[in-house]
Amino acid sequence: MLLKDKTAVITGCMQGIGLATMDLFAKEGADIFACAQFKTEEFENHIKELKNQFNINIIPIYFDLEDDESIKQAVKQIAAEKKAINTLVNIAGITKDALFPMITRDQMFKVFNINFFSQIVFSQYIVKLMLKSGGGSIINTASVTAFEGNKGQLVYGAAKSAWISAIKTMSIELAPKGIRVNGIAPGVIKTAMTENLPQEAINEQMRKCSLKRLGNPEEVAGVVCYLASDLSSYVTGQIIKVDGGISKCY
Amino acid sequence: MLLKNKNVIITGTARGMGKAMLTEFAKNGANIWACARKETPEFLKNISEISKEYNVEIKPIFFDLTDLTAMKSAIIQIRNEKKNIDALINNAGITYNALFAMSDSENLKKQFDVNFFSLFTFTQYIVKIMSRQKYGSIVNIASSAAFDGNPGKSVYGASKAAVVAMTKSIAAELGEIGIRANCIAPGVTDTDMIDTMPKHIVEDAVNHTDLLRIAKPSEIATTAVFLASDLSSYVTGQTIIVSGGLK
Repeated sequence: MLLKDKTAVITGCMQGIGLATMDLFAKEGADIFACAQFKTEEFENHIKELKNQFNINIIPIYFDLEDDESIKQAVKQIAAEKKAINTLVNIAGITKDALFPMITRDQMFKVFNINFFSQIVFSQYIVKLMLKSGGGSIINTASVTAFEGNKGQLVYGAAKSAWISAIKTMSIELAPKGIRVNGIAPGVIKTAMTENLPQEAINEQMRKCSLKRLGNPEEVAGVVCYLASDLSSYVTGQIIKVDGGISKCY
Repeated sequence: MLLKNKNVIITGTARGMGKAMLTEFAKNGANIWACARKETPEFLKNISEISKEYNVEIKPIFFDLTDLTAMKSAIIQIRNEKKNIDALINNAGITYNALFAMSDSENLKKQFDVNFFSLFTFTQYIVKIMSRQKYGSIVNIASSAAFDGNPGKSVYGASKAAVVAMTKSIAAELGEIGIRANCIAPGVTDTDMIDTMPKHIVEDAVNHTDLLRIAKPSEIATTAVFLASDLSSYVTGQTIIVSGGLK
């Protein structure tokens, strides 16, 4: 078990990559604060099943990344459990696709607010808790779009690029304190976010993809697990592309 | 255990990172063809101890990478076992430190012969087997020197950059049939190789890492385990920099 004795905070656990990450972390023995935007019976039942199956603890935490007050409340709730937190996985995010001339200021603000500003603020709070527990590993979700660009994804890609830069600086500042900071850059993964992509757009990506297939959320979770575990103890400040070979740049 | 019942080939297993890989791969349940240049009692003792401790099979394969006839015999030896090959870890390599103006062509050729040409040919043979299976993971050990352009590394860095370029092409060509290929670019790692570098350069490099320390060989080996395992099933054509955040 790769994550035995670790306690992880994971955002975006309701679906897609976040859900797959929660499942794999549970299987690998981690205790989890499973963050999601709102409570559903299905989510709570799933958590119960994981707890029973893998004999670990999962506490659901509900908050809205657009609401500063609810972020604070969530952090208080996490801190009150007095667990030694050593892993933070930022996965929650949104996309609002629009061509360059059509992007509105509101869209830009919303995407940056959720995908970058709020995640930085949330990470600041969680890092305080991690420092108390002697360090750990932070994993942030970038995207291959940040490296390659993608029609209609100017704002999404720009917010993900902001994360790439932030990862490098966080690594410089936090590594000496025992916290490693890395990112993943997923390509086209079978999730709700890519479900409604036109077939033509998928075909275009698959032409570039060495493995010639979409990725599964579980395959992204595998890389997150590596970065959270001691397997990557000398890896920091890096972005690992999980894209089946779409992006060819360094 | 990430590699239970998987079979892997690792080159350069007598010392340094390759030796650490034997332990980390065995710990994760892999059976290993442990390649080394020459047979020594210490080597045989080491593999028999690891094999017993983790209850895996480790077969020694001895050949000099630059000797094509010996390489072919090694391949035949591996092939005759009729086992699937899940992963190939090309770890063996040599280093050469010299300022550009002082680098001689003999050493240039020797570096490329071991670090690139031989690795290329050996991988071709193994890929033939993997192509028939329609799966496999190739992990090549490059170096942060391939990207960093440090003084004294024009020859070594170039040989490792060649490995990175080759790996990306292999990934693009063979991805469709289920073969993945990735590189690891270690930074400053505690092996014999750093003894060849002046002390002040090593210290300076460590001061330019985020973690402010050098790597243990096992910390490179664990990333090789990750890339050989199914945890990385959607990762191909990548170079993972295992450098503690070296600038």
